[in-house]
Amino acid sequence: MQSYILRRLFFLPIVFFALSLMIFSLQMLLTPIQRLSAYVSTISEMKGGQEQIAHLIKKYGLDEPFITQYWLWVKGVLQGNLGWSETARGPVSEVLLSLFPATAELVVLAFIPSFLCAIWLGTRAGANHNKLVDHIIRFFTILGWSFPTFVFGLIMLMIFYGFLDWLPPGRLSQWAMTDVGSSDFIRYTGANLIDSLINWRWDIFFDSLRHMIAPVITLTYVNLANMTRLMRTSMLETLRQDYIRTARAKGLSRRVIENKHARRNAMLPVTTMAGMELASMMGGVVITETIFDYHGLGQFAATAAGSLDFPAVLGFALYFAVVLVLINLIVDLLYPFFDPRVVLK
Amino acid sequence: MKRFFSLVSAITFMVLAGAATAKIKNPETLVFLWNSNITSLDPAYIGDTASTYSSLNVYSRLLDNDGSNISKFVPSLSAEVPSLANGLIKILDGGAIQYTFPIRDGVFAHRVGIKGDDGSITWHLYDDLSETDRAKIEPGYGQITAEDARYSLMRAILQGESWMANAVTEMITSGIYTNIEKWAIGLSGAEKFENVDAAGLAATHAALAEKIRTEGENLIITLDSSFPATLGIMSLPFATSIIDREWAIEKGAWPDTAETWLDHHKPKLENNPLFEVENGSGPFMVEAWDQAEQRITLKRFDGYFRDPASLKRVVLRTVPEWTNRRLQLLAGDADFAATPPEFIEEMRASEGVKVESLGQVYGRSLFFGWPVKAEGNPAIGSGQLDGKGVPSDFFANLDVRKAFNYAQNYDILLEQIQQGRTVQLRGPTVQGLMGYRSDSPIYSYDPAKAEEHFRAAFDGQLWEVGFEMTSYYSEGSTEAASSLAVLQQSLARINPKFRLRVQALTRSAFREKTYGSSNPESPLSYMGWGPDYSDPGGPLGAASYYLASTGLVAGFSGDGYRELMREKFDPLLAKAWALNDPAVREPIYARLQEMSHEFATTQFMWEAVTANVTRDWVHGYVHNKVLYGAWNFYNISKHE
Repeated sequence: MQSYILRRLFFLPIVFFALSLMIFSLQMLLTPIQRLSAYVSTISEMKGGQEQIAHLIKKYGLDEPFITQYWLWVKGVLQGNLGWSETARGPVSEVLLSLFPATAELVVLAFIPSFLCAIWLGTRAGANHNKLVDHIIRFFTILGWSFPTFVFGLIMLMIFYGFLDWLPPGRLSQWAMTDVGSSDFIRYTGANLIDSLINWRWDIFFDSLRHMIAPVITLTYVNLANMTRLMRTSMLETLRQDYIRTARAKGLSRRVIENKHARRNAMLPVTTMAGMELASMMGGVVITETIFDYHGLGQFAATAAGSLDFPAVLGFALYFAVVLVLINLIVDLLYPFFDPRVVLK
Repeated sequence: MKRFFSLVSAITFMVLAGAATAKIKNPETLVFLWNSNITSLDPAYIGDTASTYSSLNVYSRLLDNDGSNISKFVPSLSAEVPSLANGLIKILDGGAIQYTFPIRDGVFAHRVGIKGDDGSITWHLYDDLSETDRAKIEPGYGQITAEDARYSLMRAILQGESWMANAVTEMITSGIYTNIEKWAIGLSGAEKFENVDAAGLAATHAALAEKIRTEGENLIITLDSSFPATLGIMSLPFATSIIDREWAIEKGAWPDTAETWLDHHKPKLENNPLFEVENGSGPFMVEAWDQAEQRITLKRFDGYFRDPASLKRVVLRTVPEWTNRRLQLLAGDADFAATPPEFIEEMRASEGVKVESLGQVYGRSLFFGWPVKAEGNPAIGSGQLDGKGVPSDFFANLDVRKAFNYAQNYDILLEQIQQGRTVQLRGPTVQGLMGYRSDSPIYSYDPAKAEEHFRAAFDGQLWEVGFEMTSYYSEGSTEAASSLAVLQQSLARINPKFRLRVQALTRSAFREKTYGSSNPESPLSYMGWGPDYSDPGGPLGAASYYLASTGLVAGFSGDGYRELMREKFDPLLAKAWALNDPAVREPIYARLQEMSHEFATTQFMWEAVTANVTRDWVHGYVHNKVLYGAWNFYNISKHE
């Protein structure tokens, strides 16, 4: 087990290196003048003319050779410095750290119901193969699968905010933002739900929750389909196994067979997939966060990419790689708990 | 698919109709949703409009514009506006001009210093202090004085980071040097700034100190010769904003010594000690700036030297997604939403929303460049006059430029693209600027005249063989795409052999092909560049920007363009700039405007307009063209 973990951790830097080299190479295909976009936000900043452009290129070392620029960047990363994000006007590492709790909070809240619903719906559908319940669940999940996030998100936003004014976008209402920003409110984690509880501010807790409902529903629904379908298929296969037939022959109730004997085994492939879903949600909430004005890593990554903010894009890519590898590792390590036949070597 | 979109549209309209019933939310807070971001809180560092939202509201300057009048000024930190009549402008022997700014008494910054028993200074918010504590404020520590004004101007010039700080250098040197580096080179005789020795640096500092000095509570600025835009520059919310000297030095900014200015010259954004802190004396102070969330909160400064602002807070939030901004505005959670031009009319029809159309100080034009890069340039095709391309100096031909200008259908541009909101641009100067005359000549759509000029160009060869050429615009602008498409179709109608291709480029690629180089790749590009003060002359005025060989437009329009400007326009520009009397200068700028038509220097299309889209409970916005729509929140109030 230990050697397995060490081996997996050993490959981590190699993955990061390959990834960073790839992204860095892509950005270097652009000319220094094009890459200046990362440092100037509006055309008016270029009014100094050619002199200003030359000054900025020199100032940010954009005319240095590839190796020099890459080495400078890697050296910084090894010292914990991911560079300066012109989009966020701050060090990339600090920005990622400050936004991580927001995204993590959203993703965890969306992932848990997503996973539980998928297990339940998949079990129901598999256990009621080709019956009305199965058809309804399949229709429901296919609908979610075929809905692009931005369409579903916009519909949610328009109905529940634009029309009903129940679920506003953003992370907090204006009054709550003012309170959170005051010296009376102490920030512990950066996650509004947790911090408001620690500060014993139930009003801020519920305000934060209210702002999260729409993006959570959106994320849950669009991520539900894959896991539900896999659970259903897996359940169908499991229910055809000999041991299930034996259990039936022994006279066990249908409920016990499905929930106790079949579901646990059927969950194995879903668990692996859930890990990947969680990882992709951690890095892929770009559209949801953008639509709901939810300032998290996804929205930051989208803005940074649109502004050709390379340090931020590289930093985000590294973050995503870390999340992907770590979640993968955790899922692999958890696998023996779900399936005792698996032994890690 | 169509049915699906119809359903979505129907839901959208239902929703929007329902949403427009909001009441005033956050009555004392203005929530401002935009898709910009400020660069720095240091006014000496910034040169972009977005950043002026902080500097304009957080800092004070010596003078302010008189409301929306961009040529009139009112006192701010200076108790009076200098003029010849009040004796605060003096013409000295040798033609030097001396400006005196008497600094207003009793003005305090947001943070003030109080000396403790151990002699150390601690900084406190002025608003939090009792009257007893205020009596203990250490003189000069947060109290705005003439020394603060001197320090602020000198620091901005010596820091030399932004082009607006460099504009102050141009003003101080009466246009001789465009930045402090050139000034140092000029004084030291070094070839490059890097080679300027300690003596040269000290001499530069001394020369600057001689031109900006204090006498008691007066700030004295002495220019070697006339610089008519001086008061205009002094009222801009950039490098001329006044910071508290003692506070800035304590924060690690330039310590006000000759030996140290190079250490604080052109700092990186993140290394600038005043990047994310402020101590202005403006009507608002920065309560929080969350860079990661791109949200800045301004809080009312009750100790402001005028009456306190009506709003208690202003929140500027970056919301990239338009639908979200729109819904927040309609729901009343936002008071202002930056609105793409194509949605202005839709918003105008929404209940509870107010749309104000605002004229801008610049226009939108198609810029001719010549010669453009000849080798490997897809924009000019074969690079020959063979029907499959154009020569690199295609637009050097006056007949070609005139033909292009006659080929544009301005009526369609104004009526259909601009929907009657604006007027045709008559040249570099727009309405309200010196030299603008409503009866000056303009081009109109005239296919016959266009044909006449096309036939005359290149001895008729152009008409015979035709051309292929690519014009560029920066992606996302529907106005650009439409105006180029109108020209494209019109050219094809005049002669089917005239093939103009229109291509959108990313912002960065567009920059590289157009204004990123002194000899561009693009022969014809859609852009709009505006001046930085109301005077049309000087280095940053409208006429100079477009018509001087050293101007901004000439800088990226190619050697041919620059040569034309040098030969025909520079002498008149220099003549006008050397004069002080507006009555004598005005006809010269009017003539320059006419000449821009005569030489068809650019295809001037329309005066730019923008719009403020706010809730109807927002009142008090004063539009100042020179501020490019930046909001001064001091005048704003929220009420039904």
